Amino acid sequence: MATPTLDPSSSEAKVKAIPSPKRAPARQALHYRLVLTLYRVFAIAVLYLVLTGILTYAFVMGFYAVSSSWAAPVILSASDEKSLDFRQKLVTSQQTIEDLKVDTQKLNTGLAEMTKHRTALLALEPQLQSAIARERKHNLATGPELATLDQQKQADNQKTQKVLAQLKELESNINKDLAAGLITKGDAASQLSALNQAQGNYTDSKIAEVLLTDNVLDKTTTGTGSLDILVKQAELRSEVAQLDIAISVAQKQLHEESQQIDRLRQAIATAKQSPYFLNASGGQTLYFAFVPYNNQASAVAGKPIYDCYLNMVLCRNVGTVKQVFVGEENATHPIFKTALRGFLIQMDLSHAESAKSQTVFLGRKPLFF
Amino acid sequence: MAPILLWLIMVLCLLISVVKYLMGVILRLSSPRAKAKKDYAYQPTVSVLMPCFNEGKAVYETIESISQSNYPGDKFEIIAQDDCSVDDSYEWMLKAQRDFPNTRIRTGRNEVNSGKARTVCNALQLSAAEIIISIDSDCIFHPDAIRELTACFAEPNMGSVGGRVGVRNPNDSIITSIQTIIYFSAFQLYKIPENYTRSVCCISGCLFAIRRELLLQIEPAIRARNWFGIPVNQGEDRFLTHQTLLRGYGTYINNDALCWTTVPNTLSVLFKQQLRWRRSIVRDFFFTLKTLPQHVWKLHPNTVFTLVLVPLGALVGFLVAVTALTSDPLAWVGPMPLVTALGVAAILSWVVKKYSAREALAHPLAFGAYVAWSLVSSLFLTPLALCTMDSADWGTRTKEQQAEEQKEGGVALGNTNS
Repeated sequence: MATPTLDPSSSEAKVKAIPSPKRAPARQALHYRLVLTLYRVFAIAVLYLVLTGILTYAFVMGFYAVSSSWAAPVILSASDEKSLDFRQKLVTSQQTIEDLKVDTQKLNTGLAEMTKHRTALLALEPQLQSAIARERKHNLATGPELATLDQQKQADNQKTQKVLAQLKELESNINKDLAAGLITKGDAASQLSALNQAQGNYTDSKIAEVLLTDNVLDKTTTGTGSLDILVKQAELRSEVAQLDIAISVAQKQLHEESQQIDRLRQAIATAKQSPYFLNASGGQTLYFAFVPYNNQASAVAGKPIYDCYLNMVLCRNVGTVKQVFVGEENATHPIFKTALRGFLIQMDLSHAESAKSQTVFLGRKPLFF
Repeated sequence: MAPILLWLIMVLCLLISVVKYLMGVILRLSSPRAKAKKDYAYQPTVSVLMPCFNEGKAVYETIESISQSNYPGDKFEIIAQDDCSVDDSYEWMLKAQRDFPNTRIRTGRNEVNSGKARTVCNALQLSAAEIIISIDSDCIFHPDAIRELTACFAEPNMGSVGGRVGVRNPNDSIITSIQTIIYFSAFQLYKIPENYTRSVCCISGCLFAIRRELLLQIEPAIRARNWFGIPVNQGEDRFLTHQTLLRGYGTYINNDALCWTTVPNTLSVLFKQQLRWRRSIVRDFFFTLKTLPQHVWKLHPNTVFTLVLVPLGALVGFLVAVTALTSDPLAWVGPMPLVTALGVAAILSWVVKKYSAREALAHPLAFGAYVAWSLVSSLFLTPLALCTMDSADWGTRTKEQQAEEQKEGGVALGNTNS
């Protein structure tokens, strides 16, 4: 490729100023001047606006970094999810209390019945003991006597038996006499009848002896009758013991349920202190505000509330702090958009529109005007 | 609706940026087309135009670095044009002319202060070379810089070629550390997809090479630039690049053509520089919108999106920042932006250390402060730029500043930025 060299002549040159582009025609120059003037006015206005905006922004940032009296109004709608949830839980709790009340009433009634029954059973025990003692005492007294009598009876019966053996011989003699015609039939019948009667008496006497022996056995030894009584006594005691257990369980349950009722009542009482309960209760419009913990000192019931233009100036009193709620709330900083921990207060507002302000101030005007 | 639109634009801009950075990495590693075909045998005549205003001794150092170029001495010249500096810049130019006789150095001086763009045009009058390289008068150039730039013009459709601008003072302060990372990533990654389509949207004015005939075509437009009658003398590099693209030529950044600039090391100077750049971006954006059909018709879609959405992002960035600050003021001080910035810093500072040891950062995590700067930038720069479009103030060095310095301590010979 051909590459020419440079001309090595002059090494220094003065360059005349190239004339500026031809001046614009007068009309265009006027147009330019007009546009430039407008542009400059607009530019100065914009720059001052930007500068003012930046300074204001920086001041707002600084102000909210150090302010300890601001609160952020919160509007809780009737259909607020938390309020509805709160209300639902409240209704459920109240229903539970009612159920528990019915339960405790039933338990109380049952407990009274069981106690009454137990008392009745316990009353039987001494009577039974007394009867047993009395009977034992009686047996101790009559037993030996009967035993003696039983022995006498046995001896008597043995004697009678011997006599009866002789009577059989007599009966034979009667029959012989009758057959021999020594005696009439009538006499024979009368004599035989007397013999039978004597036999019958002996049988009766034997029965009496057996009964007496039996009776003596009853009174001198522990028989099934006594055992029956002991079983009954044991059953009575068992029933009392079971009743004791049932009463104890019922009392415990009653205590538990009573405590649960107390706890639920306490919970409901606490819940009634919540802004969400107040909101859920409906009725009049309520105004709340979030207060970060850093500003806690300013949140005192009765303190005035100020609403300001541009979030800090030309403030006016718009109401007072009505109530301070204790429950913790989380919210976003209205300016810095960072997460904050704090609590809610209820505001008594005379200017409802202040509830829509980004921030309000508690206690005093933030910049004294 | 409006906030959604704002967020949509912001997301698009971010997406474009992220995609461009990722594409930059991918293309660097995979595509040879991302690099221009260079022909070092092609050695056209070159004029290095160096406009200068109140740069003092830095001018001398700049000329010295150019004179050490390994480009054939008979093929290049330096044309230093002083824009009526009130300091001793012109004297330093003359001294350089005397001290480096092996290099053809021509000096000139405007009759009236005209601004950088017109000073370049004035210097152009003295040149007859095929390739014009416009440089900043406070930069130091690598000896290969001219050779690398001209080699890219072997591609017949190449209109303008830029070099990679490195930071001379990476460890002056946190501010310079941040700029080091941004400069490095911008040249080494962000502009690579643009390189791929030969449609870099802004070639840095620190090292800008252009075909002479193309510059001559654009020159009247440069001179005619005005804002309702007020001459515009800022953002000539962006304007030149844009005009190159619109004339159907390709633009390219050759990262092997190196120069080193001193970046602002105080917040106020950085702010003024960024404000000037933001004005250029806004002005360029308005121009793009005004001629959008022409852009859509002629340019690569990647270029159109970059030209439209990135400045749009800067414009709506203000509104997004305001929205973010009012809806969640402390979000920007949260861990995510900082962690992201630190992550980027850690990776990029390692890359900088590996591939550009001269720019190695002493405190790479200082880039975390970029989070705060991006907020300042979004909040202040765009509205201020929009409201000062009529300003011709260069910002980083004014006559008044210089006069004050002279009153205080005689002639200032310190290095300054353009």
